[in-house]
Amino acid sequence: MLEIRNLHARVEEKEILRGIDLTVRPGEVHAIMGPNGSGKSTLANVLAGREDYEVTDGTIQLEGEDLLEMEPDARAHAGVFLAFQYPVEIPGVSNVYFLRSALNAIRKARGEEEMDSMKFMAYIREKIKLLGLKDELLQRSVNEGFSGGEKKRNEIFQMAVLEPRLCVLDETDSGLDIDALQTVAHGVNSLRSADRGFVVVTHYQRLLNFIVPDYVHVMVDGRLVKSGGKELALELEEKGYGWIEAEVAAQA
Amino acid sequence: MSAVLTRYETTWPNVEAVAQAHIGEGPLWLRNLRSRGLRVFQELGIPTPKVEEWKYTPLRDIAERKWELAEPGPAWFEPALPSFVEGAVRIVLVNGRFDANLSDFPRLPGLTVSPIREALTDDANPVSAVLGTIARIEKHPFGALATALFEDGVYVHLATGSVIESLIEIVHVTSGEGGVCAPRVLIVAEKDSVAKIVEVYVTDGAADSLTLPVTEVIVERGANLEHVRVQDEATTNAHIALWETRQAEGSEYRSYNVAFGGRLARTDQGIDLQGEHCITRLDGVVAATGNQLIDNHTRLDHALPNCNSFEIYKQVIDDEATVVFNGQIFVHAHAQKTDAKQTNQALLMSPKATINSKPQLEIFADDVKCTHGATVGQLEDLPLFYMRQRGIPQEMAESLLVYAFAAEVLELISVDEVKRDLEARLDRKLGTEPLR
Ligand SMILES: Nc1ncnc2c1ncn2[C@@H]1O[C@H](COP(=O)(O)OP(=O)(O)OP(=O)(O)O)[C@@H](O)[C@H]1O
Ligand SMILES: [Mg+2]
Repeated sequence: MLEIRNLHARVEEKEILRGIDLTVRPGEVHAIMGPNGSGKSTLANVLAGREDYEVTDGTIQLEGEDLLEMEPDARAHAGVFLAFQYPVEIPGVSNVYFLRSALNAIRKARGEEEMDSMKFMAYIREKIKLLGLKDELLQRSVNEGFSGGEKKRNEIFQMAVLEPRLCVLDETDSGLDIDALQTVAHGVNSLRSADRGFVVVTHYQRLLNFIVPDYVHVMVDGRLVKSGGKELALELEEKGYGWIEAEVAAQA
Repeated sequence: MSAVLTRYETTWPNVEAVAQAHIGEGPLWLRNLRSRGLRVFQELGIPTPKVEEWKYTPLRDIAERKWELAEPGPAWFEPALPSFVEGAVRIVLVNGRFDANLSDFPRLPGLTVSPIREALTDDANPVSAVLGTIARIEKHPFGALATALFEDGVYVHLATGSVIESLIEIVHVTSGEGGVCAPRVLIVAEKDSVAKIVEVYVTDGAADSLTLPVTEVIVERGANLEHVRVQDEATTNAHIALWETRQAEGSEYRSYNVAFGGRLARTDQGIDLQGEHCITRLDGVVAATGNQLIDNHTRLDHALPNCNSFEIYKQVIDDEATVVFNGQIFVHAHAQKTDAKQTNQALLMSPKATINSKPQLEIFADDVKCTHGATVGQLEDLPLFYMRQRGIPQEMAESLLVYAFAAEVLELISVDEVKRDLEARLDRKLGTEPLR
């Protein structure tokens, strides 16, 4: 469903992604690991269409459509969802209102009927429970004054409500306590299905015990330099990134 | 050396002739009031930008035009005039004249509504005793001219202790071209009375006139008044208003100045706190687009101790529009324990949008809490991206953020129907999709 070919991207003259190739088929979970600053969030943001990043080469296709031609909202309509590493606060806009607007915008774009406030509340009830979100957070402004953990739960809650095709999770596990990690992982797992793909950026093997990936990729310096199964994550946990960086250097 | 030009060298012969004729008519108090108005207008003239108070209000084209006194307007309107609440006390003034057919007010205990013209034939009546005593026309040539020209208006009286549950709607319509109209409002809230009033100024289509409203409000001891003023005239019209209030001990006056309309719109709002333990709000929501100039001058006068005042201005400016905010707060030496807070914020939606803001605090007491702050910002990229990533189209995302910006004031308005009407007006104004 997702085909990334030879993707190069830069920000303010600095080349960050330097030739990414990645194929995600429906139903698959791909984990991306790698040292700080290697470009993981950049990849996630480029997928979502953030304008700060300039794509200088390569292609991205989602279900055969050229993602790079689409505006961020059109990408969301096509099924792309990014759970942000740093969720954004929007003072003055209530969480529940925001989410209903988003859902209705997506439904409208797909030619489906919009949901009124009552139907919407009924629809989200189960999902609130799933993510263990306090009701009170729904009425508050989007992410404003939320704890780090609440923000991350809120991202996955939104994901559960919007039911995207391609879920990109950027360090959704960082800042979560052990219980919250399980709740969030459970939320993600409940969304796993044969027609949905996941790209999960994380630093910790621990998350991958809960969300078991089909593939693990290592990003170093803007390239996916090594790929393997879930056991690669265990190896990284044990040995760090040094040996991979050495391998890459040796090949160069 | 050339003299500094403080007034335009033009006259408005047709309008002044009407004012001159007025002076010879009616009871003595009225003749005195109108001649005071004309005298001040002739003394001040139409100010140029050299006059500090009028520095950012470009009046040349208004000064150079040959205005007439506005004719009586039409008897019905298409589309219908704004209305907020079913069953409200409804008062309609067309070109400053009370229209009994369009108005609709049930008899409510404690509430008196009457056309001001009814008071203009008597020697002594409740209107004659107070009309013109609140508005400070001495520095305001347009308020002065309006005082010379007015022929009608509405008097709203709340008897001692009366609680008016119905919303009181005062709808002002300006109609026609080249006319000056002087709608006059006098509101007297006696001791311990309670009411909510919304005053709304609109035009009949693309009117090209000059609306010069003068609104005077007296809030007596312990009275509690909410007063929303909505100026949403066509952007072909000019609007220069004087709005003044006097508060007595223990009274509460919550005022909201909503300014969306007019090609040139200026409102001078003044509040005199002449008793202790008053609570005052003077908030504003401004939205300017195209080539509009919207200028609000507020003056808050803390004469006595132990009063609290709050002022928040939220200003959204798009295209090549200009918004001016000038907020004076005087705290007299005697006014200890004053708590006065002022914030004014502007959101610039385009590179050519302009804000001129000037907080002006003059504090002569030493045991007070007075703060002010001003910010100018733009819509931030990150929240926009976040919303769009969730599927919300750009326009709608912007509208949500603008609404969120204005909401801090709009949410304070206690009448839901009025709040919702203003939200819809804001959406229409900014050309964004209605989504609430
Ligand atoms: N807007 C920006 N302006 C300048 N540099 C940027 C910008 N965004 C990212 N970078 C730089 O690009 C590089 C890659 O950043 P990115 O956020 O993609 O890394 P990451 O792999 O997600 O790191 P982490 O694990 O710390 O989250 C970093 O060196 C970062 O400083
Ligand atoms: Mg990152």
